[in-house]
Amino acid sequence: MSAARTIAILLFTLAPGCAGVKEAPPDVTARSGPLAVDPSPVGPKQEAAVSGEAEAAATAPPAPPSGSQGAAKATPRPATAPAKVSASPAAIERPLKKEESPAVTRNPEPPLDVAGLTTRLRDTDAIGVFTKLALKNQVDDLLEQFRSHHDNGQKTGVASLRQPYNMLVLKVLSLVQDKDPSLARTISGSREAIWGILADPKKFHAAI
Amino acid sequence: MIPPSRALALIILLAALIAVPTPAAEDAALLRDLSSVIMLLGMPCGPVVSARRQADNDHVALCENGNRYRVFVNAEGRAVALRQ
Repeated sequence: MSAARTIAILLFTLAPGCAGVKEAPPDVTARSGPLAVDPSPVGPKQEAAVSGEAEAAATAPPAPPSGSQGAAKATPRPATAPAKVSASPAAIERPLKKEESPAVTRNPEPPLDVAGLTTRLRDTDAIGVFTKLALKNQVDDLLEQFRSHHDNGQKTGVASLRQPYNMLVLKVLSLVQDKDPSLARTISGSREAIWGILADPKKFHAAI
Repeated sequence: MIPPSRALALIILLAALIAVPTPAAEDAALLRDLSSVIMLLGMPCGPVVSARRQADNDHVALCENGNRYRVFVNAEGRAVALRQ
């Protein structure tokens, strides 16, 4: 009797487990049901739209003309979408133009102060006396090359001197940037302005 | 308790130690300067590890790679590095 009782108890305890497993699929279907119905609380119009779509989908498969209607129904949607897209680039372009204009106004190049820059280079403690002298020698050599180039009236352009100029600026920057970053920034920011003076014969002769 | 005379002596000693510029700092600046000028002149060197002064603006620099240069200002006022 006790064995039968234990078997009965075991079966009784195991039965809900089996019943649960069997009940699970209906639960899932029941949950999927509400998920499909979920849009309904949002609003009746959406339901109508969904039902309209369902009707259109239902009508589309049976007959080809209805399919073309479905396509015709589908085309207006992209037609509305490009309309929105065509409107949006204009809306995007306006802010971009607004952003560009302040950027242009923000970067007015400050006037180049060659004398001030020379003084700062001479007075900086970032480089020693020997290095300053060597730099001055190399600057003088490069200026001499520019002078001879302008005096000879070469029409080939000063592009050939751009590389030695860049190298010299890089040397100065590498020497200065660690101990005098402010001066390095000024030199780096003045690079094009200085080149503009050196490359133009009139400006060159006026400045040097 | 430290006697006042000894405390005074300690203060003077400390002041003297602080006030005198350390030659090591000057040496480091000179070594950096020599390294930079040798680099600017396109000579292989790396950091200068030691230098010996021969005259005003005239030094012999020993590089990390073992090269030795005489760095000086010549008659034309140019900084020159001559390998020795």
